[in-house]
Amino acid sequence: MRQHSIVFQRYLTVIYFILIFTLPGSASAEKPLETVKGYADKVLDVLRDPALKGESSKKVRKEKIREISKKMFDFNELSKRTLSNHWRKLNPEQQQEFVRLYTSLLEDAYADKILSYTNEKITFSREIMLSDRIAEVQSIVQRRTAEIPIYYRVMLKDGAWRVYDVVIEGVSLINNYRSQFREILLKDTPEALLQTLRKKVGKT
Amino acid sequence: MKILLSAIVISLFLCPFSLRAETDAPSARSGQAVVAERPEEQIPSPQLDSEDGDKGPDLQGDEEEDGGGADKGEAEEEEAAPEQDTRIPDPFVSVNRVVYQVNDRFYFWLLKPVAQAYGHIPEDIRVVVSNVYDNLKAPARFLNNAMQLRLRAAGTELARFVINSLAGVGGIGDAARDAFGIKKQDADFDQTLGHYGLGHGFYIVLPVFGPSSVRAAVGLVGDRLMYPLTYVRHEDLSYAAATGIAAHEMVNETSFRIGDYEAMKDAAIDPYVSMRNAFTQYRQKKVRESIKKD
Repeated sequence: MRQHSIVFQRYLTVIYFILIFTLPGSASAEKPLETVKGYADKVLDVLRDPALKGESSKKVRKEKIREISKKMFDFNELSKRTLSNHWRKLNPEQQQEFVRLYTSLLEDAYADKILSYTNEKITFSREIMLSDRIAEVQSIVQRRTAEIPIYYRVMLKDGAWRVYDVVIEGVSLINNYRSQFREILLKDTPEALLQTLRKKVGKT
Repeated sequence: MKILLSAIVISLFLCPFSLRAETDAPSARSGQAVVAERPEEQIPSPQLDSEDGDKGPDLQGDEEEDGGGADKGEAEEEEAAPEQDTRIPDPFVSVNRVVYQVNDRFYFWLLKPVAQAYGHIPEDIRVVVSNVYDNLKAPARFLNNAMQLRLRAAGTELARFVINSLAGVGGIGDAARDAFGIKKQDADFDQTLGHYGLGHGFYIVLPVFGPSSVRAAVGLVGDRLMYPLTYVRHEDLSYAAATGIAAHEMVNETSFRIGDYEAMKDAAIDPYVSMRNAFTQYRQKKVRESIKKD
């Protein structure tokens, strides 16, 4: 009888340790919606910070938002998915440069839009798991005369959910850029694409 | 009935166009852009891509985009959210690009300055104006929802039209939404045509109206036929007045959206292509919604 309970206790201990060692991996990763909402709240905090108001601190605000976006977005994944089949046509150095240029293009393009934020209300409504590691977080931006659905596609990598696509009113960001890059890559070399990007990023 | 007739008339009218498209395309100056819209032959199918079995959901199907990372060692990362094939034939790309440029000038030189000046009118008033115009489109939304057999949505639009026209005094306020929580159920004739399996046709940039397709152009006419003001006698509403009303609506709507087009243009490598892609994705989403709901 006593033997039995010792075995049983050991058994429990084993289960306990298994649980301890396996759970944190999955439990430490927040839910996709919480993660995206968390980042969005951080951006809103920066935009609403009275200390950062005004034209003079625009640069500081932009820098802070850039910091958050670096954590929020998986620019590597986003770049790969944008170029899709063409990604392989770039050699590793070109791939690296592409990620860097594309990242700053997106930051430049959207930072101004975010900075001109005019108290539109954002509601995070729900998350849909598209697979074990891919989810869609749905949000709605309330404007005076319209509601704009903005969906974030996120991927779980190394225990963290990060955004790899933003779908606004059904228009996927990476799909949109893919159509533009494709036009270049079908006629020209990857180097020409990088040159176009360098010019675009250097200008803004 | 009238709608059907006009749809036939329009398609007859557009028929020579589409025939010309076939013959003109190869000789078009920027024929390459047309080629770009065709399936890319060098792209391996997803099945050939990963020999060790693609674990990702096979949602990509036969689309050319595999949407995933491409490194051999990261085959497991090739799962992707469902993506649509977003290409649209553009046989008149050189003409379209010119019209796009004209519309761009029209926006920056005329529409935007006017809308900005107009924007000095308090927002609350502009919202009321927007509500009135929107209420006039409720019959079209009701009919399109009904044609798509989205009966609940159609019923909602009917209820909204009645409530907003009566309680909202001709749609001044969105009483249906604010007091009853009944939300707008958008639907249009392009969507209805798509709902029944009609494709885009090819891409057309319309003067003033902007990005469109053969189907969307028919859609515009169809929606116009479901618009109450179309049926006001000309003695009561002259063409000039009707155009003035349409222009006012455009300015009023634009006053809420200044900066959107600029942002899109700034972000784009090729604004024309970006816009064409956004149009296609948006219309595809509308058609998907019409099939999903109700």
